[in-house]
Amino acid sequence: MTYTQKRVIANSIVMALSTLSALIGIGFLLWILSILIINGVDALSMTIFLEEGAPPGNESGGLKHALIGQLMLVGYASAFGVPLGIMAGTYLSEYGLKSKLSETIRDISDIMMSAPSIVIGAFVYAIVVAPSGQFSGWAGSIALMIIMLPIILRTTDDMLQLVPSTLREAAFALGTPKYKVITQVVYRGAKAGILTGVMLGVARVAGETAPLLFTSFNDNFLNTDMSQPMASLTVTMYNYATSPYEDWQKLGWAAAFILSMFILTLNILGRLFLLKRKGK
Amino acid sequence: MATIVDITEEQALKVKNFEFTYAGSDEPNIKKLTMPIAKHSITALIGPSGCGKTTLLRSFNRMHDLYPANRYSGEIIFKDRNILTKNEDLIKLRTQIGMIFQKPTAFPMSIFDNVAYGLRLQGVKNKTELQDRVEKALQDAAIWQEAKDRLKHDANGLSGGQQQRLCIARAIAVEPEVLLFDEPTSALDPISTAGIEELIVGLKERVSIIIVTHNMQQAARVSDYTGFMYLGELVELSPTEELFVTPKERLTEEYITGKFG
Repeated sequence: MTYTQKRVIANSIVMALSTLSALIGIGFLLWILSILIINGVDALSMTIFLEEGAPPGNESGGLKHALIGQLMLVGYASAFGVPLGIMAGTYLSEYGLKSKLSETIRDISDIMMSAPSIVIGAFVYAIVVAPSGQFSGWAGSIALMIIMLPIILRTTDDMLQLVPSTLREAAFALGTPKYKVITQVVYRGAKAGILTGVMLGVARVAGETAPLLFTSFNDNFLNTDMSQPMASLTVTMYNYATSPYEDWQKLGWAAAFILSMFILTLNILGRLFLLKRKGK
Repeated sequence: MATIVDITEEQALKVKNFEFTYAGSDEPNIKKLTMPIAKHSITALIGPSGCGKTTLLRSFNRMHDLYPANRYSGEIIFKDRNILTKNEDLIKLRTQIGMIFQKPTAFPMSIFDNVAYGLRLQGVKNKTELQDRVEKALQDAAIWQEAKDRLKHDANGLSGGQQQRLCIARAIAVEPEVLLFDEPTSALDPISTAGIEELIVGLKERVSIIIVTHNMQQAARVSDYTGFMYLGELVELSPTEELFVTPKERLTEEYITGKFG
């Protein structure tokens, strides 16, 4: 067998194996999605969006409380977590760069990123819930913000460092003050990357259940007071899906479906935005 | 000993006993260098890699200050003051001494906004004035014809040569007195290179130009004076023709005839 033939064979084996692996991965994803769609769409109805929780058995319950609670929890977490993460990432890349402090911050956020979210839930329970004596929306948002922070911080840091230093130098060479170099030139260069980091961070916390069990807990009715326990899609889904009542289980499927679609849309939007920027 | 021509005309910059050491290094990259730069003419800096020519060029607009722990001493006199002092206003200095880099550095914004950037920094808000000055800069940089119908388009859609001319337009829009070119054509094809060279020659009426180049033919084509640097020292500064035809220093001759480099 010639060397070329060997190479051709090796190539086709590797290609077959990697294609197979990709298909298996995609297969599971499609399986999950199809079951979600079958059960979720079946459970969907207008009542879900219009009604709050109801006792089992009377088929009149909805998920309005959980939807609004979810949006509020994630919304407040993002409102504080996104600017904080971007600013911290900016510090790392533009001011600290190689300093001991920034290397330490990088290491700690890498560890935080892989920390089990339930640990963060327990932490917020200890510092917010226990002293205040009650579960609250704020505690939930704080937990989500802590989980979101390292993701946004590190992607911002990475994306800013990808901006070529010559671009910064060119801006400085025109007599631009540093803060304008960062906000007007460097941010623009890294815009798509930072936005993707933000979307991924938001999508990540939107699917969290464990930290919310310790913090915002749950509420079967609509509550928009952040200082009170608050419903979320994830915790509601957990409660309903594990309940023995068929109509609650159906609502659980609907919650799973809505949540997945929300996260999927967020991811697809993020990627579309990236593509559009690249195509320009 | 170095041979440094007496420049009788007015000088844009005077380097005196300038010494520069990069962070983390013990050996100075530039050693006690003294060099006059003539006003309204083009001075080329040539020499092998690592000779300190780019380091010297980036000292004129204090680019080294962007990175910590670089050390320098001596004087660079510009407009009757030493610009190496601590209280030098770097923002103002950099509007008076502009720079063009090796790779085109179009900002991620529209063509118009790129050229208007420096003007806006200086507080030009009037729309007509902005438009007039952007158009004039683009014309002076010989890119108006190609750019005028797509001023609102992303500048990164331009070719490399066009982007480099855009960067020149951006630099001259703020009307600097000195322009520093750091190997401005080494990333460009021959036709774009010829265009940029023509442009540089045309600019010397208005600005004093210092250009670092690896390309000796380019130095010979565009410059009035050429300085040959070696191991952090200025070996020879002569009118360009003299340096290339009758070099005074043995090292210069060996370098331009290709015996080392």
